[in-house]
Amino acid sequence: MSAVAAKPAAGGAMNPTAMGVGIVILLILVGACYYIAPFDSRMMVLSVLIGIILGGVLIGFGVHFVPVGGAPAAMGQAPGIATGVAMLAAGGGLAGLFGGAWAAEQGTVVAVVTGGIGGGLMMAITCMMVNFIYVFGMGIPAASGKVKNDPITGDSQAEFKSQGTEGHGLPFISFVGGVIGGLLAGAGGTLIYLMLLDLYKATLPTMMQATETQILPIAISMAGMFAVGMFLVNSVLTAYNITGTIEGPHDPKFKRWPRSVVASAVASALCGVVAILIVVM
Amino acid sequence: MTVKVEVVEGGVPHTTIMAAGLIVSLICLYLSYLNVITGKEWFSFFGGLAVVAALIWGSHTIKVLCSYGIGTGVPSAGMISFGSGVIAMLLATKFGLAAPIVALVLAAVIGLILGYLSNEVLNMKIPAMVQSLTELAVVGAFTLMGFAVMIGGGFTFATLTTGSITILGLSLPSYQASFLGGCLIAVAFLLGAIAIQHPFNACLGPGWTQDRMLMLTAECGFLSMIMAAVMSFALVPAGAALISLIIGIIGWAYSYTKYFELSKRDAAAWLDAKPIPDVEGH
Repeated sequence: MSAVAAKPAAGGAMNPTAMGVGIVILLILVGACYYIAPFDSRMMVLSVLIGIILGGVLIGFGVHFVPVGGAPAAMGQAPGIATGVAMLAAGGGLAGLFGGAWAAEQGTVVAVVTGGIGGGLMMAITCMMVNFIYVFGMGIPAASGKVKNDPITGDSQAEFKSQGTEGHGLPFISFVGGVIGGLLAGAGGTLIYLMLLDLYKATLPTMMQATETQILPIAISMAGMFAVGMFLVNSVLTAYNITGTIEGPHDPKFKRWPRSVVASAVASALCGVVAILIVVM
Repeated sequence: MTVKVEVVEGGVPHTTIMAAGLIVSLICLYLSYLNVITGKEWFSFFGGLAVVAALIWGSHTIKVLCSYGIGTGVPSAGMISFGSGVIAMLLATKFGLAAPIVALVLAAVIGLILGYLSNEVLNMKIPAMVQSLTELAVVGAFTLMGFAVMIGGGFTFATLTTGSITILGLSLPSYQASFLGGCLIAVAFLLGAIAIQHPFNACLGPGWTQDRMLMLTAECGFLSMIMAAVMSFALVPAGAALISLIIGIIGWAYSYTKYFELSKRDAAAWLDAKPIPDVEGH
């Protein structure tokens, strides 16, 4: 087989053994965290870890909705936004995280919703401007190559699709997918940040023998850095799951999400345990 | 099945670069401990040298990994490197003098598990994946630790979180004037993440040569070092920051001229342009 004809290996197949091993690692990490934590704060630490895992899963699942076009989309040969998964997830999700961080003082629910809206808004603006550039700048209509009719509007796609391409532009379903993806990823990133912030606010003052006000910059900075780190880990793992381009929720590659959910849960648990160890050890 | 598109032809083997990068950055990180021994902060620039060494190793690892068409773009490798590295590095700083060693072990464990997840659970099946993600996590941790040393003067948790501000001649402890409290770590994070992924992203293709890419990495590393040196004026004494700045500028000027020469050499030698392999982006 020549190097040019070879395709990346990752197919849609699941690997049940590896997923089982992944879930076992997850349970071991959660158990280890429970036993390492001091007796009186076990439930709090455990709830923080579960929040982090939930946030990571939201990121991993949400990124699948985002229409990623990569280099082919930049040439108008595939639908989606013309950049990689990791960059898009970072753009949409971190915008959500910053939005949520502003609302952190108003309670978990408000902050998570704000983070979700921040991410969704960022993706909506991105998707709209991408379509502006496609339609008015490059002169190409939006057409999906993966489905005959748009699942939401029912518009037929084949007439608008150019020969030799996989579709182009950003069809309505991809736009909606992008917004949903931004919502989930932004909410997930914010959830991780809030969980860590609460933990650090509660534990750092005794650890460093200082008041909560003095410690606040460090708590915010550490929670933010850990949230950004976990966000990037989760989004890159999801990018590896998608391997390149995806059109949105109607793409056949979307069915790979269970793999990503397991991987994100294990990766978040691992990073979460490390982030918790810094204060409970 | 995955086929490797570009093979390392000639040049230094990857294991040599890995060993050299690991040892040099570890030694540089420990040399910066002279700050504590002497009580002065003049040795902070060793952090910057550790950054450059780790980045050179990391960009070659990215080359090894991304030569298999992973389909997600080269920047994603830099992002996961620092995403996992920052987590390991922050916990490792709690261990005092052992911090660089702990960072190495912890980052390797995190990278190993992430590599297993991507290869088995996500079904990537890329032979170099596990080793590369392990190396990249270590590189990320070392780079951030190097920046922490350079900007804040040390790699322990106390140095990272506690600074001092001078008001009317009185020196008061402050948590905001520190590497972590002032969130300078966020800037260091992206300085490193861009410096690690850019060289291979810029040099890849049929005309790739190892020495040119590594020289570009050194150039990016020294450029980041200049930025970090400017930021370090806020936290370490001006003399120490000035030493870092001068070393950064000299290193950058040298590596930039060398890179320019190498680019000219390779441009003139590029006689047979091969077709671009189309494996990326599927």
